[in-house]
Amino acid sequence: MSRPPARRLLALFAVMVFAFAAISVRLVVLQVGQASELQDRAFDQRVRTTELPAQRGQILDRDGARLALSTPAADVYADPQLVLDPWAAATKLAPLLHVDAASLAGSMSQDGSFVYLARQVSRAVAERIGELTLPGVGLLDTSRRSYPAGTVASQVLGFVGTDGVGLTGLELGYQDILAGAPGERTNELGLSGQAIVGGIDVEHPPVAGSSVVTTIDRDLQFQVQAALANAVRSQHARGGTVIVMDPRTSQVLSMASYPWFDPNAFGDSPSGTYRNRAITDAFEPGSTNKVITAAAAIQEHAIPLGLQLEVPWTMPVGDYVIHDSDPHGVMRMTLGDIVAESSNVGAVKVADRLGSAGLATYLTRFGLGHATGIGFPGESNGIMLPLDQWSDTSLATMAYGQGIAATPLQMASVYATLANGGRWVQPSLVRGTIDPQGDFVPASRRQTRRVVSAATAHMVTRMLAYAVEFGTGINAQIPGYQVAGKTGTARIPLPDGSGYLEGQYIASFIGYLPAGDPKVVVTAILDRPAAGYGGLAAAPLFRRVALAAITRLGVAPAERVSLPPHALPVG
Amino acid sequence: MVFGIVVVNVLLAQTSFRLASAELRLEELSQEHLELVSEQASLSAPGRIAAWASRHGMRLPDDIRILHAPGGRQADPAGTDSLIVGANGSRGRSSP
Repeated sequence: MSRPPARRLLALFAVMVFAFAAISVRLVVLQVGQASELQDRAFDQRVRTTELPAQRGQILDRDGARLALSTPAADVYADPQLVLDPWAAATKLAPLLHVDAASLAGSMSQDGSFVYLARQVSRAVAERIGELTLPGVGLLDTSRRSYPAGTVASQVLGFVGTDGVGLTGLELGYQDILAGAPGERTNELGLSGQAIVGGIDVEHPPVAGSSVVTTIDRDLQFQVQAALANAVRSQHARGGTVIVMDPRTSQVLSMASYPWFDPNAFGDSPSGTYRNRAITDAFEPGSTNKVITAAAAIQEHAIPLGLQLEVPWTMPVGDYVIHDSDPHGVMRMTLGDIVAESSNVGAVKVADRLGSAGLATYLTRFGLGHATGIGFPGESNGIMLPLDQWSDTSLATMAYGQGIAATPLQMASVYATLANGGRWVQPSLVRGTIDPQGDFVPASRRQTRRVVSAATAHMVTRMLAYAVEFGTGINAQIPGYQVAGKTGTARIPLPDGSGYLEGQYIASFIGYLPAGDPKVVVTAILDRPAAGYGGLAAAPLFRRVALAAITRLGVAPAERVSLPPHALPVG
Repeated sequence: MVFGIVVVNVLLAQTSFRLASAELRLEELSQEHLELVSEQASLSAPGRIAAWASRHGMRLPDDIRILHAPGGRQADPAGTDSLIVGANGSRGRSSP
């Protein structure tokens, strides 16, 4: 056996020395120069921080019935680059997702590495998709907001978007309270994704959102909506609004505007149906506003209650001629008769005695021209000109509710004030919240103020009861109960403000019962009903809703109030 | 000594796996609870109950009758609007 040449050994030695030197240098570079950076990279690779979403709070009715809640769901996504056979996957997914297979296949064939195939599918569907183990198709945990009662109180509740953020209604207004705060979890994972025992495991748990307890009565709300939908259809009206309130607390028991929408599928309805028109839209109230004129006149002793005014059926005011709804000869009417018969001319004569400043003061005191502060997004102030901008006809037209605009809620609040003995209480839609620990936190105290004396409020109540027993509100009568209320038939302004629509009206009836001890205030409004007048179109709706309310709430009849001084015959 | 450390580590690992399993089960049960709550809310929704009642021939009353205890006031029976309105037509106009 011959020995290798020395030169070859030398060369091999040199190569080995060079290799060791290179390795040593590399080791020094890795373990000294880049040690910190590489440690960080390794840490990042095995330590993951994931956000822990907070459970969104529920929205409850006044008795705890769930109106909105979040349930577990999943988003289905695909990585088109990893999908082996888009058509085969689409065929399997289509019946589960109720989506066209061609559409799914198209999504899974497009460029890019991420595409949503479906959002917020139920847990059961997600489990079935998971069992398919389709390459390139994955699931992301999320939650789905559901509204178990469907359209009930939908405009009050609003809805949330696919990202779980409130977009309208209480969902928007109470977003911060409902949403809670997300948490996060940091832990060390092995190659398989399994947590490394004894490794880093730090969790900051999410804080669940609080639940919001509304003042809404779910069952009454359902009956109100059924009555309103029926009235709109039978009257061929454009729409309508109903509010039911407790006058002692001004809590809203029911609030609806037709047409409404289903928040479970809000995309299927026009966006106009999302608006809670009872709060966001103002209308000229018409004769329902005469109670303010009457209350102001009584409070300021502007007219003796027994005084009989001469009331013709027309009266010139500035360049205009105002008139009552039906022709009549000169009648002798007391203030009670004017309210009961809803005389425009009579109301103007009363307002003349009161003066512009006097009427403006009481319109403001009753809350017109200012948002009530109910705490709902987009509340309207209504429209009331400042006194120094009133025209020659403003006093006259505002006396009978034209030339001024109020939201249905503002008008409901006016009647609630009278039913509450002359004290205004700020309306509310939320009783309080329930924190994640389950403790009830009452809503902040509502503002109150005295608007008129209890005696004045009682006298107006007698006039309103008179209106229902013998005046324009007879269709609002409820056997066994004495109802106090007022009709309204308001002209509708043209969009450009140049005048009013001909022969089309907003019909309304607002009242409360029992007149002797009011427990419920009902506002019923129909937009352009076939019957036209408030007494014919809206009073029956008021009656239907009031019946539902007294039945649901167990309201008993009370002592009857006496009729006010009157000149017109009764019986 | 070494054997003891190994045993403790094994026990810790087993406990950790059981804990992870229990947490997963808790999460599943929480989700199931939420789904059951949602289902209960849907089943008790007034619209569903009304539809069910309607299918079985039930409907809301057109009117209600107020009954008074003996010695109390006599209520007007339901459906007497015409008596209250009056027959002469001189009052009871229901226009504006």
